[in-house]
Parts: sequence; C-alpha cells; structure tokens
Amino acid sequence: MLAYARDSFLFSRPGCPRAGWRLPMTMEAPELNALLLRVAGNRDRAAFAALFSHFAPRVKAYLLRLGAPSASAEDLAQESLLNLWRKAHLFDPAKASAATWLFTIARNLRIDAIRRERRPELEPDDFSPEGEAGPDDALVWADNEVRLRAALRGLPPDQIQVIELSFFADKPHSQIAGELGIPLGTVKSRLRLAMARLKRALGEAE
Amino acid sequence: MIRHHPDEGLLLAYAGGATDEATSLIVATHMGYCGTCRAQAAKLEAIGGGLLQDLTPVPMSSRALDSILARLDAAPVFERRAPSLSRDGTPNVLRRYIGGDLDQVRWRRVNANVSYKTLFRRGPVTARLLRGVAGAETGPHRHQGAEYTLVLKGGFADVTGRYGPGDLQMMEGDMRHNPVADPGEDCINLAVTRGSLKFESLSHRILAPLFGF
Repeated sequence: MLAYARDSFLFSRPGCPRAGWRLPMTMEAPELNALLLRVAGNRDRAAFAALFSHFAPRVKAYLLRLGAPSASAEDLAQESLLNLWRKAHLFDPAKASAATWLFTIARNLRIDAIRRERRPELEPDDFSPEGEAGPDDALVWADNEVRLRAALRGLPPDQIQVIELSFFADKPHSQIAGELGIPLGTVKSRLRLAMARLKRALGEAE
Repeated sequence: MIRHHPDEGLLLAYAGGATDEATSLIVATHMGYCGTCRAQAAKLEAIGGGLLQDLTPVPMSSRALDSILARLDAAPVFERRAPSLSRDGTPNVLRRYIGGDLDQVRWRRVNANVSYKTLFRRGPVTARLLRGVAGAETGPHRHQGAEYTLVLKGGFADVTGRYGPGDLQMMEGDMRHNPVADPGEDCINLAVTRGSLKFESLSHRILAPLFGF
C-alpha cells in the first residue's frame, strides 16, 4: 500500500499549518496572472520576486512529493522559476492560469532532470493541417481555479487518491492499481467519477 | 473525424507527467490531430495547477531569492523553435523524432507486408513506426502488456474496429489481433509497445527477434 491517503493534500492544507510555520499571504489566480504579465511585459523584477515567494515553496513541495531529494527539489524549484522568467512572454492567460503554466514547466523540468528523459510536447502551432479545432471549454477551467480547487477538495478520498497519484507518483495506472491492490478497472472508474464531478462543479454539461 | 481517443486515465497520466517518453510522444502526436483531446489535456493540466496551489509550501533556503535575482539578467530569453512545415500532415512533435517527413524514413522489412523503423527504446518500452502494405494482413499476433497504435497515414481494421489518421488504438493486457491495412495506400502507424509481440506463424516467430521485435 502507498502512504498517499495519509499524506494527501486534504490533510495538509495550507489552512491548517504545522506549528511554527507562519502562513504566507495567499495569492489567487487573478493576482498571480497579473504579476506574470508584468514580468512578461516589463521584465518587472519586483513582480518576479512576488511570484517567486509564492510559487517556489510550492514547486519545492511538489518535487518533494514526487520523491526528489531535498537539495534537488530546491535546485529544480529555482530552475522552474528561472524558466518562468525566461518564458514569461509565452504565457497566455486565456489558455492557463499562472499556477497551471508553472506546473507544466516544473513537471517537464523534473522529467528532464530526474528521469533523464525528454518530454514530447505539442507546441501551440504544431497541429497537423488536418487537426480538428477543439472546444473552448478548457478556458472555463483556466478561469475558475478557485472553484476547481474547491471541487478537488470535495472529492471522496478514493477519487482524489487516484488523481493525486497521476500527478505525484510518476507511475502508469496499471502499476498504481497493483500497488493499491485494486483492479485497473477500478482505478479507471474512480477517475471517470472524479472527472464527472469536476465537470459538474465547473458547470459543464455531461 | 477522430473516432478513437486515449482514455481519461492515459490523458491524466500524460498531463500529470507520469507517462514514459514513448507514451507521451504518442499522446502528444494524437493531440496534433485531435482538438478535443487538446482541450481535455488543458483541463487536466489545470488540475495540476490547482494541486500545486494547494500544496503546503516548503520554505526555500534563505538565500534562494537573492541568488535567483542575481541570475536574471544573464538568463537568456527562451526562443520557441520555429516550426518547420510538414509536407504530409505529421505533427512536428513526431517529426523531430523521425528527423524529417514520413517519405524520408528508411524502412526495414519484417516480411513482404510489414516494415518498421525503431525511433527509440527506453527500458521495456519501444517507439516505432510500422508500415503495412495496402490491403495486406499483418499476421495474427499477441501482445503482452500495453500497446498503443496511432494511425499517421492510411488506415487499418481489426476485431476492435476501424482506425484512420489520428485514431489511437489502446490495447491493455494480453490480446490477440490481426490488423488488416485498408486498401488504397500503405498504412503507417506510430506504435508504442511494452514487452514483445508474439507472432503465431513459424516464419514470423523466427524473424521477429532478428528484427528487434
């Protein structure tokens, strides 16, 4: 069994800090997006410092959750924020929130540095000429980070567990199923239920 | 019109960064054809952003901010690679692994009907291009472990359905099939396999290991 249920973010929310840990001012998506746009537009160092203070400790926590040793988690968090500075002009708030955009940067850096693999990614202009256009509903998710997070916190533990494992376990679902001692079909049905609830919470028709 | 997509679990693993390189490549290439999955993957990445926001922060060292501020001026601005135009509709994310267009691939023959080109191998997982002669059978074979097949050109059909450009076939667990390429043009696929293929005919069983299957 994995220790994730106990270690889940449900039980380690910023709202219930450990003793001695002073909770930093929490910033939400509109403010974070605005700061990132200031970095993009004016190379604004004060805006960057504010983003660093907010995000670097979260990126470090993310890397630690994935099993990175403390020193590399610190280094990779630094590199992630340096990449935020270098790529800020590519940030598009119509496609993703600052947190989501930085998450993809940290995810790819980790794969590169710790797994020593490349991360093949579709670039924005890299569609097949025949590739069909997608629906615009992803925008609703980008614009409603607070609602999405509330919906994630409202998921039953067995559903949030399989979602978190996709982000924090670095393993294919077949292996996750094996370690949880449940059939792959159960992992998949929990994921489907979780996604249906998230879609409902974000006002999407099923 | 794309009819066969990666399932929610595979897309989530891709968005979360849990898929290996070959599996990421086939999902990303599928998204080059499929706007629905591009939008879906963007939503799943938003879950990653939400989880990141809600993680309990772990303090950085006291010098971290000063040391990164000192590096900013020397850090080169990231330039996006200029997309080179594909002549055959293959997304660039795959063309970078092929090193060009599909008509520049140097194929190796398995038999009269099937040839292949290995793109790369990481541990037990292999990414290859497979080419089936128009209208011909591959020959019955079994798969052990997950296999994903993405049609790039032409099409094929087997017991599970018909597949055209952009369609992704997911097979998990032990499965036997005998895909037949559509008539008209050769069928070219990107295939990601874990473990080996087991051909049922004797000649295939002898040849397959020689050709790196």
